[in-house]
Amino acid sequence: MNEIGLTHILFVSTMLFFIGVYGFLTRKNMITMLMAVELILNSVNINFIAFNKYLYGDKLDGLFFTIFIITIAAAEAAVAIAIIINLYRNLKSIDVDDADIMKF
Amino acid sequence: MNASTMVFYILSAVILGGALLSVTAKKIFRAAVFLLFSLIGIAGLYFYLNYEFIAAVQIVVYVGGIVVLIIFSIFLTHESGRDMKEPSMISNLFAVFACCFAAALTYLFIKEEHFNATPNPTLEPSARNIGTQMLDITRYGYILPFEAVSILLLAAMIGCIVIAIKLKPKE
Amino acid sequence: MNSEFLILMKQEMGVTLILFILLFLKIWDGIKENGILLHLINVLLLLNFLLGFVLNQNGELFNGMFATNSLRVMEKSVLNLGTLIISLQAYDYLKSHKHLLEFFMLLLSTLLGMFFMISSNNLLMFYLGIELSSIPLAAMANFDMDKIKSSEAAVKMILSSAFASALMLFGISFLYGTSGTLNFQELVSLITGSPLQVFALLLVFSGFAFKLSAVPFHLWTADVYEGAPVAVTSYLSVISKAAIVFVTLSSLAPLFSHLNEMWYHLLFVTIILTITLGNIFAIRQDNIKRFLAFSSISQVGFILLGISSGTATGATSAIYFLVVYIFSNLGAFGVIALLSSQTGKENISDLKGFYQTNPLMGWVLAISLFSLGGIPPTAGFFGKMFLVTAGAAKGNYVLITIAALNMVISLYYYLRVVKAIFMDKNETPVEPLRGSLSLRLALLICMIGVVGTGFAGGFFEHIYQLAAK
Repeated sequence: MNEIGLTHILFVSTMLFFIGVYGFLTRKNMITMLMAVELILNSVNINFIAFNKYLYGDKLDGLFFTIFIITIAAAEAAVAIAIIINLYRNLKSIDVDDADIMKF
Repeated sequence: MNASTMVFYILSAVILGGALLSVTAKKIFRAAVFLLFSLIGIAGLYFYLNYEFIAAVQIVVYVGGIVVLIIFSIFLTHESGRDMKEPSMISNLFAVFACCFAAALTYLFIKEEHFNATPNPTLEPSARNIGTQMLDITRYGYILPFEAVSILLLAAMIGCIVIAIKLKPKE
Repeated sequence: MNSEFLILMKQEMGVTLILFILLFLKIWDGIKENGILLHLINVLLLLNFLLGFVLNQNGELFNGMFATNSLRVMEKSVLNLGTLIISLQAYDYLKSHKHLLEFFMLLLSTLLGMFFMISSNNLLMFYLGIELSSIPLAAMANFDMDKIKSSEAAVKMILSSAFASALMLFGISFLYGTSGTLNFQELVSLITGSPLQVFALLLVFSGFAFKLSAVPFHLWTADVYEGAPVAVTSYLSVISKAAIVFVTLSSLAPLFSHLNEMWYHLLFVTIILTITLGNIFAIRQDNIKRFLAFSSISQVGFILLGISSGTATGATSAIYFLVVYIFSNLGAFGVIALLSSQTGKENISDLKGFYQTNPLMGWVLAISLFSLGGIPPTAGFFGKMFLVTAGAAKGNYVLITIAALNMVISLYYYLRVVKAIFMDKNETPVEPLRGSLSLRLALLICMIGVVGTGFAGGFFEHIYQLAAK
């Protein structure tokens, strides 16, 4: 598996990151925006694992960072979805455009 | 091209394809399913890199937890067959352009960078090593973040319960 | 380890202890009266604040994941005091709230997150702290359960903060990739300024800018401030902002120490945008919470101006200004909290003729606004003066001129509110408000702070000695 270098994996994670950013910028629906954030966090995880694997294998720093990111992503998603459901109860819609009582 | 590289390319295709379809799908339920594929692909990538523990965590937490949570919330809040609003042409074009440009730039930076691997012997990412370090209080121990994250989970749980609980309206 | 560990982490231990006491009170469900619970919580918070004055010791724990010194203890005490004031002010709002204990559990966990963030010498602990201080806060923004505005504020807050921290994490992952360490001190020496590292630092900086609500990452601020309950808004605009500034001073600025030039230019652009746009938007607002939100954006610009000098004096003036800012902003928010909880009014036009019916509250609000605007006898004047002088040390007159111009603009809109309070005629002014004893105590503390900090000459030197170490 030596043919696959670090840059190949970093290419995948970079692409994933910007796909996530694109999703966050263009989506209007709150749940899909949350999904885009999850994609970004996953690209970060790939980065950490790849660096840990290829460069700094003597410690497990990157791996632990990944574990904590996954945990926090779960907590974040749970709170976000609780809030979204509560908003839906009040508003009967979860599009960002419908939630425009407040203007910039 | 041998079998190992083939596996990597297939995995990358699954990850990126799933992600791309997930952010562009018109129906929200489909977006969630494509997200699932992408996340499974990432778990596969961790297996490929011999990080079995993280791969297992990825499947249990992301695939089994977060995506299921998202799908449930879609069922609770949507008629899942309905099409979602599409972004306006201009903002879409702008976002595509900006993201492509930034991605290319980032990849260029990565290409330019000289990464230096450590000469020290490798520590195997086995479940035993991870467990020992996670609860270790000496050097390289991760007990403090472990405790901090447990408080975070407690707080998140309290927050979710308070928000999502439906109290009976007072008569 | 053992006892040393307890002493070094005393404030974190204190907050965690209170958190668990509240958890057990919730499970036990023995005290039904919200008023008694609130007094109990206030006493606990006071004890926790006093903890910052005993047994101070410098040291590191867990291999640099946690480090503390007198300055950090002082910063945590400031946050503790602010939390106590907010808790006193929220008496009227929380007295009838169904989820009083949960509110404080979430509040304290965010406070704990800020403490970890301030004390972190490590990127992982820093990240955990920043998340611990923002996820529960989003849940708190939703505490007016059946108001659409409140849930909307919460959604906007959690999505934007999740996005911001994701951006920052991507940067952190490249910092790790190029240096191989998560420790701040080791990292500083390993930053060479290669393009990838600069890119990573920019991402980290934009994460910070998001949390500080500096322009161009400020879009979430006004909506969140307006929608959230007043207690949460004041917490957001004062405590969490102060915490991020403390971390910027202690962790982010050193990361750029080899890239001085870039750091200064980055701050230069951010400061000008932040001060100017914050002011321009603040002029147009009628809702007083939105007004304070935008004015606080422009205050952040001034704080960054102090930081941009890069000297110990700059750091000291930023910390000093934050202390003053906490007192003056909380003074204003206290009156708004009272107004909003008793009449439901939150607009500047409702304040017309406020002085006729509520002379004392009118003065409190006016003095707070004077201090925010930086008018001489109040501490806000000294705070802004120190910031601008520190910023001027670099000799960048474009920056100082723009800052000075903006100070004049900000005076205009602060005085507009003061004029509404004192001079504008109104047929139906707000009826006389009756604040609880807690609220009045909180306002008294704020007023003593606003006036006293300005005249307590030793205070600035005290911070300077701590910061210079």
